[in-house]
Amino acid sequence: MKGPIISGAIILAGMFIFLKFLLPLVTAPLPASLIYLYLALVLSGILIYGTMSASSLEAMMGPVFRFLSGKGQTGASQMARLAVLVMFPLLVGWQTYSRLVPSDLPPAENRTIHPAPPGEFVGLSNPYPKTPENIMMGKGLYAAYCSPCHGANYDGKGPAAPGFNPPPANFSDPGTIAQLQEAYLFWRIKKGGVGLPVEGMPWKSAMPRWEDELPEEFIWKIIMGEYDGAHQTPRTWEEEE
Amino acid sequence: MLNGLGSLRTLSLIGLFGVLGFSSAFANEPPASEEPGSVSVRLYQLEGSLPSEDPNSSQWDSVPSSEFNLAPQVHWPPRIQEVTVKSVKVKGVHNGQEMAILVEYADPAEDAADAAALEFMVGDKPAHFAHGQKMLQVEGGPVNIWYWKNESGKAVDMSAKGFKTLETQPHQDIQAKGVWENGIWKVVFSRLLKTEDDQDVQVEEGEWRSVAFAFWDGAVVDGLVKEKGGQKAVSTWWYIRAEPSADNSIFGWVILGLVLATAFELVIVRKLRKGQAV
Repeated sequence: MKGPIISGAIILAGMFIFLKFLLPLVTAPLPASLIYLYLALVLSGILIYGTMSASSLEAMMGPVFRFLSGKGQTGASQMARLAVLVMFPLLVGWQTYSRLVPSDLPPAENRTIHPAPPGEFVGLSNPYPKTPENIMMGKGLYAAYCSPCHGANYDGKGPAAPGFNPPPANFSDPGTIAQLQEAYLFWRIKKGGVGLPVEGMPWKSAMPRWEDELPEEFIWKIIMGEYDGAHQTPRTWEEEE
Repeated sequence: MLNGLGSLRTLSLIGLFGVLGFSSAFANEPPASEEPGSVSVRLYQLEGSLPSEDPNSSQWDSVPSSEFNLAPQVHWPPRIQEVTVKSVKVKGVHNGQEMAILVEYADPAEDAADAAALEFMVGDKPAHFAHGQKMLQVEGGPVNIWYWKNESGKAVDMSAKGFKTLETQPHQDIQAKGVWENGIWKVVFSRLLKTEDDQDVQVEEGEWRSVAFAFWDGAVVDGLVKEKGGQKAVSTWWYIRAEPSADNSIFGWVILGLVLATAFELVIVRKLRKGQAV
């Protein structure tokens, strides 16, 4: 069994290995849908090449037709033919079933972790100077009010953290407060989870609305302590100092 | 050729039964028990009466459980920093009419003020897990709370939409039964899937609802109850769903797929044998 079918299969397999395993060594991995599209293009190329003339068609499809017709077959090839003829309807049946069977998974959630703040919080700057005393006070307030969830190490692993979904933010992660301005933190601490817009799924957030309990001065100093403790700096739009 | 076609028919029939057996085996097999860190509670469908009265019924043994971590309630005052109940295992069943939900959690001592509660969103508007409290940018809905306390030995059907709005419903629809044994509380709550009361969560088979949990350790420490009111172990929202009845129309479509695929094969093989296609 050699000929266009085997060569085609080798080309397809080689292309798959190239796209799936070799290409990611030099660039970002391709999405499965794109790999599928490229393989479909390669397959159409192979089919067009194989059907260009009557002789190439016979070279490509002849063995397949003879195999399926079963003429003069014995032993292993007869069994292989029967297996193919049985497997095809089974695959169709299985595909039908798996497409129709109701999903057991809960609805997918697209929660936006850092939604846009309301306009009144955009551009605010911390009115308190970054003195060692203010930072120290902020860290003390953080320890008292924030660390049960966000953790004494600013890593989102406080003793209360395992019970919450979504989990408390990890400030030592470069993807959280390092990406945000102080004004953004001021909004999130002041208004809490209930202050989030719909894309932030406020109904799931356990973040308290601290404006009910803490003066603004405490919130600004907590922000200072948080950045210092987590070894991060706030994002700014202008060059400072 | 007749022989060939005959054996093909036989094989197709074998294939048909094979897929049907395979498919139905998969449809009826419950998934393996979920690890801690579940995201949903599945109410498995049972025939006949439910183990609503007996948390220790052997009927519960075969029901897989979900497990959820709990946190001390630190979202609003009065807060608590340390709670007794750290996680809860949840099992659920329904029979098309009624449902029963079993919560199982560790609490080293049985106390009169020990209590457990389930909370559900009611209606289409999302409700905040903390008693459906007001959200600033989103219009929220109410919650339905099923509250069981050891000393009363029964459950109360409650509603809330915001702090300080928690009230006992005029129409009570739930039952509960708790049993404490060797440091484990097992409390089973039960209700009809659907009620006439628009303050209640309505459970439609196959549709997702949101559920949250709360537990109070009623131990008396220095003359005071350790956990009461807002001082409790809580979860945020998770999903819950009553398993839908098997949809037998799926098997009709599977059979149609098998028949069409087999017929396609028959036509192709027949044409090939007559030499039309080559």
